[in-house]
Amino acid sequence: MQAHLQVHYDRLGISPPATPSDIKAAYHTQLKAFPAHSHPIEFKAIRAAYEALRKAPKADENFFDVRPVEAKIDQSVVKQLRQQVSATVEVTLEDLILLTF
Amino acid sequence: MGIVVGIDLGTTNSLIATLDDGQPWVIPDDEGDLLLPSYVGMSDSNQLLVGQSAMRQYAAAPERTVKSIKRQMGTDYSVTLGDRTYSPQEISAILLKSLKQRAESVLAEEITQAVITVPAYFTDAQRQATKEAGEIAGFEVLQILNEPTAAALVFDVRAEEPENVLVYDLGGGTFDVSIVEIAGDVTEVLASHGNNRLGGDDFDRQLQRHLADRFSQAHDGTLVPTDAATQARLLQAAEQAKMALSDHAFTTVREPFLVSEGDAALHLEAEIAREDFENLIKPLLKDTLEAIDRALADADMTAEDLDRVVLVGGSTRIPLVQQLVESHLPGVPVSSFEVDLCVGLGAALQAGVLAGEAVSSILVDVTPHSLGIAAVMDTPMGRMPDMFSAIIPRNTVIPTSRSQVYHTSYDYQEAVEIEVYQGENAIARENVPLGSFRVEELPPKPGGSLQIEVHFDFDLNGILTVTATEKGQGKKNSLAVNDTETRRLSSHDLNQARAAIDSLFEAMPFSLEDLEADLAGESADSEEE
Repeated sequence: MQAHLQVHYDRLGISPPATPSDIKAAYHTQLKAFPAHSHPIEFKAIRAAYEALRKAPKADENFFDVRPVEAKIDQSVVKQLRQQVSATVEVTLEDLILLTF
Repeated sequence: MGIVVGIDLGTTNSLIATLDDGQPWVIPDDEGDLLLPSYVGMSDSNQLLVGQSAMRQYAAAPERTVKSIKRQMGTDYSVTLGDRTYSPQEISAILLKSLKQRAESVLAEEITQAVITVPAYFTDAQRQATKEAGEIAGFEVLQILNEPTAAALVFDVRAEEPENVLVYDLGGGTFDVSIVEIAGDVTEVLASHGNNRLGGDDFDRQLQRHLADRFSQAHDGTLVPTDAATQARLLQAAEQAKMALSDHAFTTVREPFLVSEGDAALHLEAEIAREDFENLIKPLLKDTLEAIDRALADADMTAEDLDRVVLVGGSTRIPLVQQLVESHLPGVPVSSFEVDLCVGLGAALQAGVLAGEAVSSILVDVTPHSLGIAAVMDTPMGRMPDMFSAIIPRNTVIPTSRSQVYHTSYDYQEAVEIEVYQGENAIARENVPLGSFRVEELPPKPGGSLQIEVHFDFDLNGILTVTATEKGQGKKNSLAVNDTETRRLSSHDLNQARAAIDSLFEAMPFSLEDLEADLAGESADSEEE
């Protein structure tokens, strides 16, 4: 899961794990360096990276934390997962296009 | 480096602003007025009137006066003034040129580069028409900027934490709501929604009808004549009453000699309560509250996520507007700042950014309308042709590139037609068509087995490039919407329009030549040719 996200972390100049506010701060730093009006290609890549990392599952969640047992399937989570998966697919396409440049 | 300007080209009023040391300010006219009424007219001696002078003759000569031309932008509407017919772009260009002259006379320098604002919910055609107006007026249009976004650039957020701001922009003819995240220098639009035909003009018209009713009640059923001059007087009286009702609970409308019946003259005299007016416009304002909800949903937010609401546009002076917004978003502080000026000030700031001046603000904006193509789609009613398949969904950050893969729909299909649309309707042709093209000579294959990738590339200037590629043999074709070569106005047409409008200005008492002479005089080593 993390491997294909690496390119997005690189694009924003940060490394995992990163908190949402780290991701946003890095995104803003990159925006200042590559504004949309003067650097449209870089801007699109930065935006794609930001959208992918924002939607990605949080890396800093501790697996060993004790959590209440959930017996039933939460439909909203399923929906969210489905969105995440399709978002990832979308992003890899973007990457492919970008990598060909 | 030349001076850059920002222009708010409004339905009712327009203005031009520039930067001084990174600070935006509005350039006044000779009289010190900041706003140019968006009126264009011809005097009885066929002389061009722009602004105040055109507005003053409106009630007396509505047939020679144009108002609210912004509402016609992007349509085939035309209007005759004197001996020529004008497109909405050309009338707007006259307003822009007048603002340009105002700025050049104050700054004593030629001005060519401008950012011009449009309602966020303007369609592609409306944006392109605005850009053309700028070009006819002699500007290089650096960017067509969304009005609520421009307004958001002016708010100085000094808080450490990012703020979520809802900009409610209700002007003379259009309404926008934008949800914006402001974090230091970065202003990011999360969602925009609106209505291009809702504003102060509609409130005036409601009140105009109400005044006509009151007149016939007072005069035993005598109707107000429908001729242009009488209706124009009534409309102007309605507009004045509306403005008075923002400050007072009651106002009296007096239009003496509105109608003459035989020898008798009938006057309109009516007292209007603020509540009467509010009842007339409440249904229209309800629509704006629905737009708030949709923008919030698109931004994946609820009212609790908002830090504040900022009211922009002259119509937000109406007390009911503020009350309705406040009660719709309980607990969110509502404020306003320079409701008439902040869009133009923000446009000047963005012009500075684009021209490389030392203005540290970064803007991320979205496209308010979905872009896509007509396709055969599976629906609950089975497979249906001519459905709208969005490739760039509304509220996507721009510039953007998106692709989607489609399949041929029948065996041995030889060609695919790519029809490009803008809008939100599930039926493709209910949306705004932007153009179409074909990919031909497809290899013979069973239906559904041939893949066609459709790539949309949408840039900050609204240029959409659509490329369709057959993925087997690589047959492809593309279309550029709004590219300089495919624009609706050829450069020949543009030059003609520019020349026609220049000649109108030359006939004005304060002519372009006087100005150019002034400018030449300013520079010490200029020579006579």
